[in-house]
Amino acid sequence: MSLRTEIEKVARRYPSSKSAILPALRLAQEQYGWLSREALEEVGDALDLTPAYCMSVASFYDMFNLEPAGRHTIEVCTNVCCGLVNAQAVLEAFELELGVAPGETTADGEITLRAVECLGGCSTPTIVAVDHRYRQSVTPEDAPAIVQELRGG
Amino acid sequence: MTDLVRVTVDEREVHVPKGTGLVETALAAGIEIPVFCYEPRLGPPVGACRMCLVEIEGMPKLQAACTLTAADGMVVHTARTSAKAADGQDATLEFILVNHPLDCPVCDKGGECPLQDLTFRYGPGNTRMSFEKLTFEKPIPISPAISLDRERCILCYRCTRFSETVSEDGQLVARNRGAMSVITTFEDEPYGGPFTGNVTELCPVGALLPTQYRFEGRPWEITNVPTVCGMCPVGCNVNATVREGKVKRILSRNHPEVDEGWICDKGRFGFTHLRADDRVVDPIKRIRRRGFEPVSWDEAVDEAERLLRASHGRVVVALSGSETVEQAYGLAKLVRVGLDSHEAMLPEEVSPALDAYRAPLSSIAQADVVAVLGDVPLQQTAPIVDLWVRAARRHGARVLTELDEQAIRDAERPVLIWSGPGGRGGLTVAQHAERLGVTSAFSIPSTPNGRGIADAWAAASDAEPVNTESVGLLVVSGDEAANDPNVRALAEKAESVIVISMFHGLAVGWADLVLPGTSYLERDGTYVNLEGRLQRLRRAAVPPAPDELAWLSQLAARFGIELAPYASSVFAELSNKIYGGLPFGEVGERAPLRGYAEAPAHVEAPPLPEAEAAGDGLRLVCYKPLFSGPAVERVEELQFQRPPAEVELTRADADARGIAGGATVTVSHNGTSVRLRARIAKDLPAGTVRIAREHAGDLRGRVEVRA
Amino acid sequence: MAAEAQPALVLGGAEEHPLRDLTSYRAVGGYAQLEKARAMPPGEVVRLLIESNLRGRGGAFFPTGRKASFIPTPDKIAKPVYITANADESEPGTFKDREIMLRVPHRLVEGCLIAAHAIQSTSVFIYIRGEYSAEYEVLQAAVDEAQRAGLMGEVTIVVHRGAGAYICGEETALLESLEGKRGQPRSKPPFPAIEGVYASPTLINNVETITTIPVVLQVGPEEFAQIGVPPDSTGTRVFCLSGNVVRPGPYERPHGITVRELIYDIGGGIADGRELKAVMVGGSSFPVMTPDEIDTKLDATSLGQKGLFIGSGVVTAIDDRACIVQFALRVAQFYMHESCGKCTPCRVGTRWLVQLLRAVENGTATEHDLEVLLDVCDRIIGKCLCVLGDSAAMPVASCVTKFRDEFQAHLEHGGCPFGADSSLDRLFAPVDQHHLAPVAHEAGV
Repeated sequence: MSLRTEIEKVARRYPSSKSAILPALRLAQEQYGWLSREALEEVGDALDLTPAYCMSVASFYDMFNLEPAGRHTIEVCTNVCCGLVNAQAVLEAFELELGVAPGETTADGEITLRAVECLGGCSTPTIVAVDHRYRQSVTPEDAPAIVQELRGG
Repeated sequence: MTDLVRVTVDEREVHVPKGTGLVETALAAGIEIPVFCYEPRLGPPVGACRMCLVEIEGMPKLQAACTLTAADGMVVHTARTSAKAADGQDATLEFILVNHPLDCPVCDKGGECPLQDLTFRYGPGNTRMSFEKLTFEKPIPISPAISLDRERCILCYRCTRFSETVSEDGQLVARNRGAMSVITTFEDEPYGGPFTGNVTELCPVGALLPTQYRFEGRPWEITNVPTVCGMCPVGCNVNATVREGKVKRILSRNHPEVDEGWICDKGRFGFTHLRADDRVVDPIKRIRRRGFEPVSWDEAVDEAERLLRASHGRVVVALSGSETVEQAYGLAKLVRVGLDSHEAMLPEEVSPALDAYRAPLSSIAQADVVAVLGDVPLQQTAPIVDLWVRAARRHGARVLTELDEQAIRDAERPVLIWSGPGGRGGLTVAQHAERLGVTSAFSIPSTPNGRGIADAWAAASDAEPVNTESVGLLVVSGDEAANDPNVRALAEKAESVIVISMFHGLAVGWADLVLPGTSYLERDGTYVNLEGRLQRLRRAAVPPAPDELAWLSQLAARFGIELAPYASSVFAELSNKIYGGLPFGEVGERAPLRGYAEAPAHVEAPPLPEAEAAGDGLRLVCYKPLFSGPAVERVEELQFQRPPAEVELTRADADARGIAGGATVTVSHNGTSVRLRARIAKDLPAGTVRIAREHAGDLRGRVEVRA
Repeated sequence: MAAEAQPALVLGGAEEHPLRDLTSYRAVGGYAQLEKARAMPPGEVVRLLIESNLRGRGGAFFPTGRKASFIPTPDKIAKPVYITANADESEPGTFKDREIMLRVPHRLVEGCLIAAHAIQSTSVFIYIRGEYSAEYEVLQAAVDEAQRAGLMGEVTIVVHRGAGAYICGEETALLESLEGKRGQPRSKPPFPAIEGVYASPTLINNVETITTIPVVLQVGPEEFAQIGVPPDSTGTRVFCLSGNVVRPGPYERPHGITVRELIYDIGGGIADGRELKAVMVGGSSFPVMTPDEIDTKLDATSLGQKGLFIGSGVVTAIDDRACIVQFALRVAQFYMHESCGKCTPCRVGTRWLVQLLRAVENGTATEHDLEVLLDVCDRIIGKCLCVLGDSAAMPVASCVTKFRDEFQAHLEHGGCPFGADSSLDRLFAPVDQHHLAPVAHEAGV
């Protein structure tokens, strides 16, 4: 199914097709890897919205990449509840393992590391979302194995 | 009669209709509540800036007055009587100024800046902010005509709301969120469209400013001359900002019935054509074997007299439709009374048929059904009318693009609008209106004063034109006529040609005598807009050459015709004939829509044109785009808005021919063809294509489009 | 009823294993309440909710039944009415809705369907935060299963995923986001009950609230109203215990247990032999609690008397390793990141608070800066378009007021007296990541 067809299908679930913009942007990001110019134009075209509007909406939300991102993401919660336990140490372990600062992507374009706000897993700190799936009770020592897993090792 | 409610504002009691906004309610009590983001023309209030905080008895928290409506018994305390409200407003200003750069000395908005004014009245005198302000690259051109300074921006969202809900172009948007929010367009694309310049007037600070006015003047050095725009038949009311005799800027003067405070970009930014490099400032005469040379005015008037006499009454006057009523009348009197020659090439058909269906443009916004007929988008022919139609749709009206007769008959407040060729001066839509029982109808002319000049020409004499075989003298009045291929074709057959034009490029080369023309910004006089509203132009800048009436009156004298060189006197003479004796001084600053002296109740008319028989190929509609014409071509900041060389067609027609949007195609007719880029248009009926006249070459009638 | 004796209700049946599929949910009596409700007139369901005094579990604590009664009945309005379930759970310290969706998704579905019957709606949107991927799958599977089992009736439930914006948990911002716009809150009036999503009446409720609806019908409204701390804080809450405790976790208990009980009896006390320094109660949006206040009961009235809030049922224990200034800074950074940017005081104020707190932490602040800090908080509170501004200012102001000495010590020390020993030292916040600043602007403030 083409992206356009997928978007149109999703749009039918809502009384107004504009409501489908979030699912549409998600689908486009999955296909293009990030919300490039083309991706935004395609979403706009499918929903009869301007690309500027699509970009405006996308840029409001944290989960949309308006710049190229890695094929994988590692997102470490650094809000207070995880912070009180070991979040900074976990983040630093990933920084060390990946060789990037938070917000950056590894040179091979594979992995983007981010610090994120509360992921809603506060009873099992630190929460790390690996490709948007939660790993619970992550310790600094877990970092190398997680990275290796993503690298296909 | 709506219910009135009693509201107390700062201990002053007022009675206002129930549902009146609190800002207006306070105004009714003579009290100003300061605002930034509040602007009723942009839709429902948003309550974003928090400038209008007031204390309302019975409500524990301060409220944004703009978001509330008057309720009976409400007691409101503004900053004037509430320390809490005063502190709230002071806080808002303190927060705005936290990141606002101290640019006043170099900011064009200074002196006309609501932020300055409100800070002075309601804000803190000092800053407590000792950290780094948010900085941005500045200013950045969001288009050649508009520059954006993100440091000055207070994120009131007026501009993005305009783009989303008034012009509906969806191009100027906010990006990111929170303190990182910025105003932007998509990628590096310029903010383009007919209405973009309005954001520079909406912006309450110096964030969105016209590039033309950058560093051009301070409010105490300028005069704002109230006049009317002459670029299209809407006739938006404007103020021409003048400094040291030069027009520097055009602002809206807001006629609530005509333009509601909006202007299109052509009217706003097009004034620099006054300073075009090829402006004709002296009369130019063709000297045999020497080419063209500037001559003195005495020589020019002599030569004009000579040419007129030599024509032996076989004079044809080609009018542009941008002449003032007085100019057209002057020319008419000279030629018709002075030379007994009555042939005119009018730029378009004009009919009094619509006089019975007169309504102000603002009535469109109140309609329940609006039918926009014809094949040329309103944005190209009369942009502000497009905004009125959009407003109507937002208020719940159904906007039809076809003549759905049942829907129109069933409607309570239907409006018909004809935009496109085949309007026959209003006759077409008037006939529809009569048949369907519609009382408000509009037909969009193609010239700013087409009706005015036609009536002025007719008023000069009752004689009929005699069909002459040959043209002794062709008088081409105005640049639009000079640019018209039909006029040029006639000029080839004429024995001699006088051209009145502003620009060398247009006139020199084929005229025997070129007389310098003036712009609507340089004239006093009147125009009749598409509503039939008579409006007053005021001279904003002195033209580099005498006004037409000046030399016309001299020339007329040579033929024994009395013609005053002043618009007011010429108007007086004309007014007695066709405007019921209305005095010049009473035309009005925001002119009312007057009925014509004799509005025919019913119009005899030839039958409606037959629907064109379908034939092979596609029906071609040619149109004159908004951003075209001699004036626009000479405005640097509008070049990016010039129409691309495109052919518009429906998706169905494109798919049937295997054409994708953006592909280069060949459009052909009868042996001629043109290569253009295809664009898929959503507002065309099937079987029709549309091309800007300047790109259409010799194409006409029915065409074929091939990949 | 004693805290220990009250069985789980909202999470009832899922104590050992999650009840993800229809069969296991039915085995504990699932969907029986739906049947009961559908046999009643819609207005009767609303009346039962009012009688139970069930209040919103999302943070606002508004009476659920009363909210439902604001929705016009079909005879009064021609438009369809909508329900949106707020599953945008993003308040720091909160994870109860996630637990509910993972463990008893069908109870949420049942609650949605009962609510739909109560206000005669056929359209439910569950707005779930984008980060909850696994939870979305579990929930969608439950919805699909209920659909296949013919339980929906005329109702459609659309699970709509957010994309990462805390503000979309604010009810009107949620509606804007659902309509396909930037998630910026609206001014009220008009209220969602009259003009909500698609300009139509909309009932918005938190996931836990909706999941409690079948519970109310199951135990009976009168009985429900006896649980907890009547008259206002009725029923149970899924409290979210986290931070420096031995046993963090979701604990469903009646309103009225004390903070001490939750931290020490249920939570095993402070971990690693440390001392309790402060408690984040209700979420990061509220004033913090000091150790001398931990005998306060977790109900709205008792907390209110101390100027505190029940919020989303969060109790996060902060031990004495944590520098309170760093805590305040990290909280302020959260709000700066999440501010939608619509209104001036929040957009500008949250950033200014971060700048001021950073200066305190660095030791470059002055006494005057502390006064300015408190005044900025004051100038934000009550002036914004929505409560996010207050949510930033209240906790920060409470830290300064209740831990003034520690702030003072930073000024005198010329930096953080904890040095590198604070658990929150150099805790990196998302606001400082460069990808948030696409224009020529230095990362960080």
